[in-house]
Amino acid sequence: MVVAVPLSGEGSSLRIEQRAHLPSFLGLSLKNGLLNLITLTLYRFWGKTEVRRRIWASTYVNDDPLEYTGRGVELFVGFLIALAILGLPFLLATFGAQLLGPAIAGLIVVVMYIGLMFLVGFGMFTAFRYMASRTALRGVRFHLKGRAMDYALSYFGYGWLSAITLGWFWPAAQRRLAGQLWGGLRFGDGRFRFDLEAARKVGVYGPYALGWVGLIVLYIVFAGALFGVMSPMFAAAEGGDTPPVPGLGMMVAIYLLSTAMVVAIVAAFAPYHAASLRSVAAGTSFEGVRFSLDLKAGTMVCLMLSNIFLILVSLGFLMPFVQARTLKLVINRLQTSGAVDLDAIRQSAQAGPRTGEGLADAFGISPI
Amino acid sequence: MKARFHDGLTAAVHTVEVTVDGETLAFEVQGQAHRWSLGAVETERVGEAVRVAPGARGAARLVIDATEWAAATLGSDLERRSMRREMKLVIGLTAFAAAIALFVFVGMPLASGPLARHTPPDYERRMGESFEAQLGVALKPCKGALGQAALSRLGQRMESAADSPFRFRVQAVEAPMVNAFALPGGAIMVTDDLIKMAHTPDELAAVIAHEAAHVERRHVMQAVWRSLGLGLALDAVVGGGSGAGQQAVILAGSFTDLRFSRDAESEADARGQALLQALGLSSQGMAPFFERLAAKGQSQTAAEVQELLSSHPDSLRRARESRVRARPGAPAFTPAEWAAIKAVCSGQDRPLRLPRLGGKRTATLVNGSLQPASGLE
Ligand SMILES: [Zn+2]
Repeated sequence: MVVAVPLSGEGSSLRIEQRAHLPSFLGLSLKNGLLNLITLTLYRFWGKTEVRRRIWASTYVNDDPLEYTGRGVELFVGFLIALAILGLPFLLATFGAQLLGPAIAGLIVVVMYIGLMFLVGFGMFTAFRYMASRTALRGVRFHLKGRAMDYALSYFGYGWLSAITLGWFWPAAQRRLAGQLWGGLRFGDGRFRFDLEAARKVGVYGPYALGWVGLIVLYIVFAGALFGVMSPMFAAAEGGDTPPVPGLGMMVAIYLLSTAMVVAIVAAFAPYHAASLRSVAAGTSFEGVRFSLDLKAGTMVCLMLSNIFLILVSLGFLMPFVQARTLKLVINRLQTSGAVDLDAIRQSAQAGPRTGEGLADAFGISPI
Repeated sequence: MKARFHDGLTAAVHTVEVTVDGETLAFEVQGQAHRWSLGAVETERVGEAVRVAPGARGAARLVIDATEWAAATLGSDLERRSMRREMKLVIGLTAFAAAIALFVFVGMPLASGPLARHTPPDYERRMGESFEAQLGVALKPCKGALGQAALSRLGQRMESAADSPFRFRVQAVEAPMVNAFALPGGAIMVTDDLIKMAHTPDELAAVIAHEAAHVERRHVMQAVWRSLGLGLALDAVVGGGSGAGQQAVILAGSFTDLRFSRDAESEADARGQALLQALGLSSQGMAPFFERLAAKGQSQTAAEVQELLSSHPDSLRRARESRVRARPGAPAFTPAEWAAIKAVCSGQDRPLRLPRLGGKRTATLVNGSLQPASGLE
């Protein structure tokens, strides 16, 4: 399938640059972290807003910076709404389950988790829609077409398909899901499109197989190592002399082992994540402009490993810094071809949702 | 000064000449005059420039060189205004956070007593069944039928003396810790290690009486209500979907997190001894057992021991107070019962053949009774 290119003759190519001054995000990380501490994390909505504002403002399209117009209070209200319609009922259901006896409790918990799985997709779509609606370029807003319910249904269905196929449907699912988001994006009256055929030209199954097999191997290695670390304990239990309570050294060993496991899993899937992003970029176009992403597997492995290191040593404090450096690296590897007449883009009447991504926050799945 | 102007209608770029006149920004685009109030505009530093919005929800934007803008708006309090707004926000949020903490640490503990008293016993009973089902996975009842029967009889006697709608069901369970706990609805469990550590029937009876008092006074239900308050607060802080709140509620169902307040513990001590006395039993076992727990339990992790140790002087105070209240009386178990109880978890359903059981001598005779936390043997 070939996307029609409405060349008006006055179009120009697009140049996208991320010019974030990374050291300034260190200070912002510290400030957000401290304020999160004293407000029991309630400051996070305003902190997140500031991080986005700075990342958007340092992302340039043909030398014009993007603008993030979202507000902390919108995220906060979204969170309160999610709390009222989701958190409270689920909490009470859990509490009620304890009162109703084991059988009904089990049923309630199962129903609850199926509902939660459904809501995850819902939350992802609404978070993307909110962010799009709060993004502007040259005074013109972006917005997202489509219905959150459709996306949630797809997410739910694809999730089950992936589970049934032991994960092998997941790369295809992720591509389709990304397509529903990027294909529904609008900049004023300018359209983004997602072409699944074009996206398929970038293979994702090779890198995914690497991650999948790596995961199995890692689990076996991990289980073996865990057994090795804990074997003194089993021996003690059989002897019956010393209590089979893990000592401090063993706890540390188990903790280090789990951390190594997580790091190794992330590294194993990093090539797939790079491929997935390349595939989504290849499938996306905006009016006459096509995108491609020059992001190599090795680059992604280094990026993700260094990110984990930064997060671990800073106990999460450096999250804003990590987000900024990640976006800077990825955006600056984005290439475009074709042309579009930006001057002719008209503002759309869509103002977007009034509150932001409460569900996504509740699930901790908002990307930035 | 020169500026780039976006009219908010299209993505086109206009070049305009902006003047600042007192509290007003003025410029002209294609013959049309625009006037923005400096009091309402919002600004954002973008690279070497400043992006100016007309305020509220206006989509139009001016992009002006940052140094020129600073010179032109010198004396206006744009900067201070945003600082003040942020300050107010942080103070407000901190106050909100403090209110949540107050709710968890003061409000819920205060409300939990009345809430527990007004919880229908039927609810508590069903909740207890649910807890027991969950606990059953980790804690297996000991096999000694004679010992279990002896414990069960003491539970029934406690029940007859207590003012409670619940059936007191005392049971010995296998677990690698020195612990005893009361579940909602009247189930009382003592671990094999605790039984080993008890030197006399009086000591074990004191522990069981203490737990029976927790049941009678519905301290268990209080702890459950407090955990719901904690769950609510956790949800309010970190969001409902993370499951942190649910986790707190579920954890409350596992015995290690059912913590009672200091007052509840003191009340259970006193009431437990009163129950023993009402039955004509000795209430002298509590003090020595608690003292020994405090001295020995350094490496223990069980909740009941921890709560004793986390306030070491406090546990000694409790021991002292229970010593003052202690009265002599009959032993809670006959020598035969005591022997059966001591052997209840040994896997064989017969009393250990030990000479002259009963009284203080048992302690030195029962093998392993001074070795806590060796549950898996
Ligand atoms: Zn107690």
